[in-house]
Parts: sequence; structure tokens; C-alpha cells
Amino acid sequence: MVTELTCAADVSAARDFIQRNGLTFENGFDNLAGVFENGKLVAVGARAGNILKMLAIEPSHQSGALLGEIVTDLVNRGFSAGFESLFVYTKPEYATSFEALNFSLLVCHERVALLEYGTGLEQWLASAHHLIRPGANGAVVMNCNPFTLGHRHLIETAAHRVDHLYIFVVREDRSVFPFEVRIRLVQEGVRDVPNVTVLDTSHYSISNVTFPAYFFKERDPVALIQMELDLALFAARIAPPFGISTRFAGTEPYCEITAGYNEAMKRVLPNYWIEVVEIERKHTDQGAISASQVRAKLADEDWTGVAELVPESTLAWLRSAEAASIRERVHQNKGRH
Amino acid sequence: MRIVKKAQAGTMQSSDLMVFVEPAETLTVEIDSTVKKQFEHLIRQKIDLVLATQGVTTGKIHVTDRGALDYAIEARLETALKRGGEV
Repeated sequence: MVTELTCAADVSAARDFIQRNGLTFENGFDNLAGVFENGKLVAVGARAGNILKMLAIEPSHQSGALLGEIVTDLVNRGFSAGFESLFVYTKPEYATSFEALNFSLLVCHERVALLEYGTGLEQWLASAHHLIRPGANGAVVMNCNPFTLGHRHLIETAAHRVDHLYIFVVREDRSVFPFEVRIRLVQEGVRDVPNVTVLDTSHYSISNVTFPAYFFKERDPVALIQMELDLALFAARIAPPFGISTRFAGTEPYCEITAGYNEAMKRVLPNYWIEVVEIERKHTDQGAISASQVRAKLADEDWTGVAELVPESTLAWLRSAEAASIRERVHQNKGRH
Repeated sequence: MRIVKKAQAGTMQSSDLMVFVEPAETLTVEIDSTVKKQFEHLIRQKIDLVLATQGVTTGKIHVTDRGALDYAIEARLETALKRGGEV
């Protein structure tokens, strides 16, 4: 029977068990579940948000029903907590064990495999199928927090170089400007560019699942693996159906994580025959335009400054009554996102 | 019966299935199964029958199956509907 491990002694037993099975114990989970046999743990697994992790089964008990029991428990709890999609990171050799539980493999990169419960990626691709255009196409993945003249410059330059440009706006809501606003400002800001399509990334690019470190300021070996996995997923599963042969990015003078992501692009994407093009950022006399500058000027209520950095459409929205709560939030939160 | 809240039933064990139901404007039935190629039509038939018997006309039904037999499908779906439904 699966039990939730909550008391300190159980958690510490689980930690030993996980480490003995060659995995790293990480704090910050929502549930930790285990199965005991004669007072000893024989299976452990955890859920953090929509990610299942630290799944370990005693070697002598593998290939039985224990994995299914633990995963059932964690999936039920995740579903009750309101998550539509659940994901698991595991070693590539265990991917088939999860496929037998109706998980589907998203991507394998070096020593890591990422799977999702159900068929969300296929459904997402099917729902975007009508947006697919023929030709040698390009893509940018952007957060646009909010949409600036810098984004506009990147999009115009990129759109010139390809038949069609897809603009994937990061769906994950970890930024000051909520997703609905960010994507709307992009749509309004590129309305007059003929060969672009704006769509969202769902869970499948720069999300809490594929690349959580993007939303923090960490740069460690884990972040590096995440970036590469995120890019391998893009290259292997998203780029082919959309006919994407070039991925564009702006040069990154400010943020170490994003600069690292650009470097990872150049390492990973060419292996999948995708060209990486970095486009020099648009400058004003105060340096390269960035969304964080816009937020800083917004926080200082420097409207002349803001107007120099954003297109009309963004400016009009920022001044609108709808933006009142965001102006307030920018005031209080002068962070990166 | 009308589905008024999210609910689930079942397990991921072999020969069982998990059923997720939630309210929606229209009726959709999604089936993932390890034996989808061979038996999707029969699983769907069974689900449609149970939904009709229970008078469910709207909602999102998601099934992940590992080769459950038809009585298991019936029992799991009925349970999920009882948990998430209102007569």
C-alpha cells in the first residue's frame, strides 16, 4: 500500500533510499510517497507541482507492480491539485517502463528522458496544425514581458530572412505581465508584418517543466542540462511539423541565463539541422533595449522613457486602466521577471 | 447525470484503467491505451454505453487504459461519474 511520507524519520529513510538508488534527493516537493514491506521502504516517489521525480524501486522488486502503484498515487494527487498534465524526468533506460503506464516520451537527451502523462504534445501540435505554413520557416521563442521595440526589431529582421516566422510566446505565468497580456501585445505589435504567426509554447518550450531555471537566477549544471533538453525537445518535436529550419534569438548582453541559453542553442540545434541566428539587439543611446528597462522606467513613472522603448500599441495598453494593477506590481517588484 | 466537478477513479496497474472526468460544455472522450491500436473502438463503445446509461451528455472524459476488461471499464467510469456528478 502506498503511504504518504510526512514525518521526519520517514523522509530521512526516503532520502537514504533515493540516494542508494543513484538519484539525488531534492527538497521542495508537494508529496512524497512510499511503499513499505516489513517496515522497510521498497519504493519511493515524489511530486513537485506537475513534475514527478525521485522515483526509485528496490532492485529486487523491480518489474513488478510497485512503479504503477506509486505513480498512480502521485498522478491522483497531481490531478486533485489541479494539474492537467504531468511530466516525469527519468533515465533513458526506464522510459519504456513509463510508456507502459501510458506516459509518452517527449525527448531523450544524453542521460535524461522527459515523458508526459497522456498525449498533450500531440494534442497541442494538432491544435496548431492549421497555423502551419509551407516553406523554409523560422522561429523565435520569447517571453515579451512586455513587448518592446527590441522585440519588434528582432521579429522584422528575422521575418525578412525566412518564408514564414512563428513567434512562440512563453505561456508559463511567472512574469509581471500575465500571459494573456503578453501575447496580446505581441499580436498587436506585429499586426502589420505579413509573414508571421503568433502562438504559445504550452508546456513545451521554456516552461516550468522544460527549463525552470529560466525563471530563477540560478546557473548550475542542472540548468545546463535543462536548457539542452528544452532545445532538444524543440528541435526534435516542434520544429519538424512547423517546417522550422532557423531559430532566431537576440544577442543577450544583460542576463547570464539567457546568454547561456543562446550558447546552448548553438551547441544543440545544429545537430538537428537547425541554423541558429543571433540578431544584434536594437540600441537607443542608453544601450540595448530590454523589457527589464521598460519595467524599470514604468516603476519610476518615466513615461517619456517608456515611449522610447515600446511601440504605440504597448504604450497605449500600459497607460490604460486595465494596466493599473500591473503598474502597481512593477512598482513593488523591481526584479528580473 | 451531470458532471459538476473534477473526479477520478482507477489505478495505473496492469489490466486496470484510470478515468478522469471534468465538467465541460460539450462531450469529449479521450482514450490513451497500451492496446489502443487493437481495442480503441471497443473501449469507446463501452464508454459511450455507460455515459448513455447514466444520462451524461456533457463533460470531458479522459481514460488511460492498460488493457482493462469491459466490466473494469464500466466500474471505473461509473465510480468516477458518481464522484464528480450530480443527478
